[in-house]
Amino acid sequence: MSDIALNSVTKSFGGVKVIDRISLEVKSGEFVVFLGPSGSGKSTLLRMIAGLETIDEGTLTIGGKRSEHLAPGQRDVAMVFQNYALYPHMTVRDNMAFGLRNIRMDKDKIEERVQTAARILEMDALLDRRPAQLSGGQRQRVAIGRAIVKEPAAFLFDEPLSNLDAALRVRTRVELAELHQNMKSTMIYVTHDQTEAMTLADRIVILNNCRIEQIGSPMEVYLKPASRFVAAFVGSPGMNFLKADLSGRGAEQVSTLGNGARIALQVDLPPGAYELGIRPEAIQVTPSPADTSGKATVVERLGDRTLVHLHLDDGTELIALDGGLSEVRPGDTVHLKFDTSQLHLFDDDGMAHHAR
Amino acid sequence: MTPKTVRRVNWIGGITTVLTVVIAVLWAFPLYWGIVSSLKPENEVVRPFIELWPDTLTFRHYWFALTETQIGAWYLNSIVTSLGVTVVTVTTSLFAGYALSQLRFPGRTILWWLILASFMVPTQVLIINHFVLMADMGLLNSWAGIILPQLIHPVIIIVYKQFFDQVPKDFREAAAMDNASEWNVLFRIYIPMNWGVTTALSIVTFIWAWNAFLWPFLAVTKTEMMTITVGITQVFDAFGVYYARQLSAAVLAGFPVALAYLLFQRKVTQAITLSAGIKG
Ligand SMILES: Nc1ncnc2c1ncn2[C@@H]1O[C@H](COP(=O)(O)OP(=O)(O)O)[C@@H](O)[C@H]1O
Ligand SMILES: [Mg+2]
Repeated sequence: MSDIALNSVTKSFGGVKVIDRISLEVKSGEFVVFLGPSGSGKSTLLRMIAGLETIDEGTLTIGGKRSEHLAPGQRDVAMVFQNYALYPHMTVRDNMAFGLRNIRMDKDKIEERVQTAARILEMDALLDRRPAQLSGGQRQRVAIGRAIVKEPAAFLFDEPLSNLDAALRVRTRVELAELHQNMKSTMIYVTHDQTEAMTLADRIVILNNCRIEQIGSPMEVYLKPASRFVAAFVGSPGMNFLKADLSGRGAEQVSTLGNGARIALQVDLPPGAYELGIRPEAIQVTPSPADTSGKATVVERLGDRTLVHLHLDDGTELIALDGGLSEVRPGDTVHLKFDTSQLHLFDDDGMAHHAR
Repeated sequence: MTPKTVRRVNWIGGITTVLTVVIAVLWAFPLYWGIVSSLKPENEVVRPFIELWPDTLTFRHYWFALTETQIGAWYLNSIVTSLGVTVVTVTTSLFAGYALSQLRFPGRTILWWLILASFMVPTQVLIINHFVLMADMGLLNSWAGIILPQLIHPVIIIVYKQFFDQVPKDFREAAAMDNASEWNVLFRIYIPMNWGVTTALSIVTFIWAWNAFLWPFLAVTKTEMMTITVGITQVFDAFGVYYARQLSAAVLAGFPVALAYLLFQRKVTQAITLSAGIKG
C-alpha cells in the first residue's frame, strides 16, 4: 500500500501563505501531475511530501504511515530534481549507490539494483562515467536511475524535462509514460507544461494561488474545466472567451454575443451577464452563414490543421480550428458554427457552468 | 579579419609581451642578484659595482651553510611546524566554514561577525599576548609553541564559507533524500566537490607558515629549535656579517617554497587570487 494522503496541509514562507489547507489523495500506482503557472506552489507542495519543506499544519500519510515529521530519507519517496543534482565528483554508479550505501545496504544487493536500473534505462555503458561526461538526456536518466534504485513507494518529479531540448523532451516524456506502465509505481510529477500534464497524468491537480482549482483526469479537466482559470490554462491554443448575455429559460435559453449573434444553449443558470468559453476546435468554419461570422486576420497552417485568427464585428478576438487544407485566407470573411454542447459559461467568481 | 587588423593585434601583443618581460625582470632581479651573490667569494660581493656574473664561481658558502650550521634541524622544524599549521588550520577552518555556511544554530551570526572582526586584527598586535601565554604554558622553544599562535587564519574560514555557500542547495537536498548524515554530506559531497579549494588553501597556508618569521623568532631561543627563516639569521660568526653566506642560507630556506610554487603553479595562483579577493 503506498497511498499518499495530504490532509489540510498549510505552508507559509515568512508570513506569506504559499499552500492553503490543501487536501489530496494519491492512490497507489497512480500518476498524478501538479499543474499550474510558475509560483503557484507546485514545487512547494511536492517538497512538502518529500520532506524538503516542513508542513506548518495538517497531516501527511505515506503508505498508511504518518510522515510529516519524518526526515526526507525516511519517507520512502525518491525525488528527481529539475537540475538533476547529480554529484559531479562521483561516477554514475556511485551516484546511484550513494543513497543505498547510506542505509548500509549489502554491496551485492546495491550492485544488483544499480544493474537493474541501468538496464531499465539503457545506460549500462555509462556506469563508470562522471556527470560532466554525459549529455543532458543521459544525466536525466541517471537522475531517474538514482530514484529507481531506491525502489521507493513513490517517485517525485519536479519539472524533470525542463532542461531538455524540445525533441528530447517529447521522447523522454514517452519514456516516462512507459516507465510508469512497466514499474506501476506511484508518481507525482510537477510541471507548468499542460502538454506534459495531459499526456502523462492519470489525474491532474491544477494549482493556482495556494489552492487546488481542480482535480480530474486529463479529459475531465479539458472538457469540463471547473473554473475560468483552468479553462484558460489547459489547452493550446487556449479557449476563446467572449462576452455573453444569457436570456430566456428552458428550451428558450439563448446567449447574445457582443456582435449581436444569438446562440442557443442549455445551461443551468439564471439570465445575466456571463463570459462564454469555447475551444477553437468547437468552432467550425462553414461555407454558408451560421451562428456568426468574422474577419480572418492571421491564418496559421500547421499541416494537419489550420488555426484561423478572427475578429468579430465588435472587435472580439477568436481562434477557430479548420482542417489542414483550409481555404481561408487572411482578410476573408468567414462563417462560424459553434458546437453548442461544448460551451461553457463563467460567472463573476470564475466558476464554470457547462452547457448540456 | 583583414590582414591589417591582424597586424595591429600583433603589435599590441608585442607591446604587452615586452612590458610583461620588463616587469618580470624588475621583479626577478633581486632574486637573481641574491642567488648570484651567494655564488661569489665574499670579497667580490662587497665590490661597489653591479657585476651580473661572479669572476670566481664558488659553492663554498652553501657548503658552509649545509655543514657548519644546524640547517638540517631548522628544515625539520620548519617542515613539522608548517605542516602542523597547515593541517590544523585547514581542518578547523573547513569545519568552521561548513558550519557557518550550512548549519543553523544559535549564535551563528555573532560567530560569523566575530570571525570577520578577528580578520581585522593583525596578528602582530596579539604577539605579546601570545608570547606571555606560550611562556605560561611552558611551550616556548617547542614545536607546539611555534604552531599554536599561527593557527589563526580567519581568511581560510571565510573562503571556505564562501565556497560552501555557492554549492547549489539541490545537492544538500539530494543528499537528504539519500539519507546522508551531516558528516557524509560534508565528507562525501561538499569537500570532494571543492577539492580544488582545499588544495589551494593548503598550499598557501603552508607557504605562509613556512615564511613566518616574527613569531617563530620570538618563540624560540634555542638554535636547534629554530625554523629555517629564523635560523638563517644565525649564519654569522664572531667576525661579523658574511653576505654571501647569509644569502646562500636564504636561498636554501626559500628553495622548498620555490619548488612548491613550481610544482603547483596554477593552484598557487588560484589560491592567492582566492584569498586576495578577501584579504585585499
Ligand atoms: N524558500 C522560500 N522562501 C520564500 N518563498 C518561497 C520559497 N520557496 C518558494 N517560495 C514562494 O512560494 C511560492 C510558490 O513557489 P513554488 O512552489 O516554487 O512555485 P512553482 O513550483 O509552482 O513555480 C512562490 O511565490 C515563491 O516565491
Ligand atoms: Mg517549481
